[in-house]
Amino acid sequence: MTTDRPRLLERPDPVRRSMFAIGCIAIGAATAGFLAATLRFFVPNVLYEPSRRFDIGPPSGFPPGAVTFLPDRRLYVFNGTDGFYTISSVCTHLGCNVKRGGPGFACPCHGSQFNENGQVVQGPAPKPLAWYSLSLSPHAHLVVDLDHPVTPEFRLRA
Amino acid sequence: MRHRLAVWFDGVRRSVWRIGWPVTDKDRAAAMISSLFLHIHSARVSRHVLKPTYTFALGLVSGILFIVLSVTGLALMLYYVPYPPEAYRSMKDLQFVVTFGIVLRNMHRWSAHAMVGVVFLHMCRVFWTGSYKPPREFNWVVGVLLLLLTLGLSFTGYLLPWDQLAFWAITVGTNIAAYAPVVGDQVKFLLLGGHMIGPMTLLRFYVLHCVILPLAMLLLISLHVWRVRKDGLSGAEISASPTEERAGVFPASAKTYGLMGLTTRPRASVEARDPNDEVFAWPHLLYRELLVALAVIVVLHVVSLVFMAPLEEIADPTRTPNPAKAPWYFLGLQELVHYSALVGGVIVPTLIVLALLVLPYIDRGTSGSGRWFAPERRLANSVFTTLAVVSVVLTVIGTFFRGANWAWVWPWK
Ligand code: FES
Repeated sequence: MTTDRPRLLERPDPVRRSMFAIGCIAIGAATAGFLAATLRFFVPNVLYEPSRRFDIGPPSGFPPGAVTFLPDRRLYVFNGTDGFYTISSVCTHLGCNVKRGGPGFACPCHGSQFNENGQVVQGPAPKPLAWYSLSLSPHAHLVVDLDHPVTPEFRLRA
Repeated sequence: MRHRLAVWFDGVRRSVWRIGWPVTDKDRAAAMISSLFLHIHSARVSRHVLKPTYTFALGLVSGILFIVLSVTGLALMLYYVPYPPEAYRSMKDLQFVVTFGIVLRNMHRWSAHAMVGVVFLHMCRVFWTGSYKPPREFNWVVGVLLLLLTLGLSFTGYLLPWDQLAFWAITVGTNIAAYAPVVGDQVKFLLLGGHMIGPMTLLRFYVLHCVILPLAMLLLISLHVWRVRKDGLSGAEISASPTEERAGVFPASAKTYGLMGLTTRPRASVEARDPNDEVFAWPHLLYRELLVALAVIVVLHVVSLVFMAPLEEIADPTRTPNPAKAPWYFLGLQELVHYSALVGGVIVPTLIVLALLVLPYIDRGTSGSGRWFAPERRLANSVFTTLAVVSVVLTVIGTFFRGANWAWVWPWK
């Protein structure tokens, strides 16, 4: 090595070296933090959409043994012999509205078929239609909660 | 006095244009080099590059389409309101109220469709001529990203008219995204800005379409073109005959361009060609480019005056049209999704994109580069051609052979 170079460059001072490493880690961590914060920024905290939990009126609005379709909610409401239940009309394939046909449901878009419980009988749909929980409000109205999927055993007696 | 004014004006002119209107070849070369917009070109180019049957000007045409899209898009922004149902109403305004509004909208829509096709063809051309070979491997990767951005821009533009076509195409598209394992639902939520397509979705797609993606595109196009400039077009090497005397206006230089000047190993020597095989970019290349630009713009105008961009009824989330089709360039994907959502919608596309990205690092060496369908590259070309043909066939099936319930129909019946 040449002798006219400053000693510092030849053999880095260990203290300086670790300071540099700490600096790098700190800058890296700060950058990662900012990125994470920015990513989080894109997730809205308030959704100005119809509530995921909503009142669909008194049980008397749904005649016994009949099926009612609520197009705005994309929801079928059943009043069966053993209680109320709801099945989503959103096809689990690509999101078209399924139609009641025969005992079950048929999707117009790519020909998926579901039985009366929403289980896939045929077609590209990979999952059964969603069932959502029903409950009674204090005014004895039916309330659907789209954030609470339930199994096809679900019934609400009202 | 007059003399001093003339000198003053000349000073102003020179501050803008360093060189007067060039008369000699040497001046033209100097003009090319000293202008921000022209120095994308080398001062001289190989004759090989000028042959229309080598590049078919596909890269140039994609660039021109991008400019047309930027200009028409900016104009449309003056009348467009990204909020439902005003969005749909502003489409109606463009159609019926704004003078030439419909022409601009048609131009924007058809250029976007053309760009998807032309960029795809450009990729095919680059593959079939083996132009992703060293030193252009990374530029191929940039090109693949540009293809994805082109698709992203077309897709995000689709929701903006807020008609039935738009609404259900986005429903289908974002549901395909939701099939991605682990992150699928989150990606869909982020894209929609909620659980359902609504004002938030429209705003997000608007910002993506008008700001984020175009900026990314501009950056990558600059990188892409800059690297073409540095590496030269492939095939220029073929005509290089280093034994011949290198004489000409510019003496051959030993200057080489490494990977952004970072590598120590010289890769392609831009000047290592036979100068006798080269011509000045101005006029030979420049005028051809202007001619192509003119042709593209004329064709776009004719198409936009004759064919109307579709606008269906206003979006109705409760009524699904049957069939609900995505934009045509996704119909191949939708056809695949029809068989299996996860395999067709996520796995196959991901694998194809990954394969395209790593391709130049697997198929290495320079053999057969710069020629159409070089026999040395028969295997690579047949694999690629098969894939390209399959994707075209699937798209054609999805577009013309699928009707209600996605059942098979004969388009002529
Ligand atoms: S959306 Fe129902 S089958 Fe495709």
